[in-house]
Amino acid sequence: MPDQQQTHPHHPQTPGTPRALRLGVAGPVGTGKSSILATLCRELAGELAMAVVTNDIYTDEDARFLRSAGVLPTERIKAVETGACPHTAIRDDVSANLDAVEDLEEAYGPLDLVLVESGGDNLTATFSPALADAQLFCIDVAGGGDVARKGGPGITGADLLIVNKTDLAPYVDVDVAAMVTDARSARNGLPVLALSKNDPGAIAELADWVRSVLARHRDGTHIPTDPGPMAPHSHSHGHSHSHDS
Amino acid sequence: MPGLAPLLLGDGRLPVGAYTYSAGLEPSVAAGLTRDRIPALLRARLRTAAVTEAAATVLALRAAGRNPVDYGPVQRALAARTPAAPLRDASAALGRGVHRLARRLAPEHPAVTALSTIRPRPLRPVALGALGAVMNVSEEDLAHAVVYDELQTVTSAALKLLPGDPLDTVAWILAAEPDATAAVQEALAVRTPAELPARTPLLTEQWALQHARQERRLFHA
Repeated sequence: MPDQQQTHPHHPQTPGTPRALRLGVAGPVGTGKSSILATLCRELAGELAMAVVTNDIYTDEDARFLRSAGVLPTERIKAVETGACPHTAIRDDVSANLDAVEDLEEAYGPLDLVLVESGGDNLTATFSPALADAQLFCIDVAGGGDVARKGGPGITGADLLIVNKTDLAPYVDVDVAAMVTDARSARNGLPVLALSKNDPGAIAELADWVRSVLARHRDGTHIPTDPGPMAPHSHSHGHSHSHDS
Repeated sequence: MPGLAPLLLGDGRLPVGAYTYSAGLEPSVAAGLTRDRIPALLRARLRTAAVTEAAATVLALRAAGRNPVDYGPVQRALAARTPAAPLRDASAALGRGVHRLARRLAPEHPAVTALSTIRPRPLRPVALGALGAVMNVSEEDLAHAVVYDELQTVTSAALKLLPGDPLDTVAWILAAEPDATAAVQEALAVRTPAELPARTPLLTEQWALQHARQERRLFHA
């Protein structure tokens, strides 16, 4: 039963066979989440049975991007409407996403890996362990070299932090090495990866990281951890509030 | 003073996925509904879809209390009165979240195990009847929760779709109270699945069908 799946990563029907690893991809708008999903599909779909769930705020744009990228059969990419509540859908009430993941597993299973892309929002939105077994959080150099220092639950606590678009660094006057150092110091030993879609070495490292999490998920040594609750997020008009209800 | 269960059932934050649903508001807005007509839409829903929804929920609660539990008649009667496929799909999607919650609370309860035999999936009122049995709520409290949820769903979605002062929405709900009470009473009076009123308005069905083909949506129905 699905509720059992949330607490035990094994199908009750086939004891000992782990269900698919559910990997969340979070991060602010425009940092390259969809591109990372496309990269992961390109790198791993040949060896792993995969599916993707996207959470757009208003459209199925991300799902369409991925379908048009031709990296997975289109029916394995499912878009979830989130009623303009992207935070809610990955934390407070993950029902819609669980439904989508379970549908994909039912239709195309057994799967090895299901990627769940959050609707891009800000630095505070992270996945609940009720939905994602592991998560990567994506920031990019074009968002400014100080982003990693700003912290937030995704930057400090996600299983992997990606500093994306490193190829743009010279154009936006960002020191990638300094940004990665900032990130590492905020993360208490958790990994940081400097990535560009034009950097085959970094892409290989990303794929290897996913393989290693999957291996730990399968042998039962991966413990899903929660990067923490979302703090109220601030807007430019100067007060902070939460709009998840 | 009611217990906590009826309050939980009426709480929009109950984690069962309801925030993806607008109870027909988004399709109505696409068809031209304006903010000043929302109170009229609420009254219309209370006289139509909400009665069917609440009555089916009460029938399911009664079925949940029998031995053996058989939701077949109410599930079939409700499906037959929900001819637009997108509305059946929406109800099944919402029912799934309710079913998940009921399983979490009482996986071995006969009212819950009987849900798993329904194909393709329990519609929301059927799952709510099971949840009501698990939570031990009265027919009247459960019907009230369903009717209130209808109002709350439309008004919450209105904050996204036809934004305005959120305080207005509270006033709209209170103003709809006589119609809400009448809907509850009508729902409680339905005795058998065969008597379940078929109230989904034609325009609601047409708009739901159009909405299913829309690409730029916030809500699935």
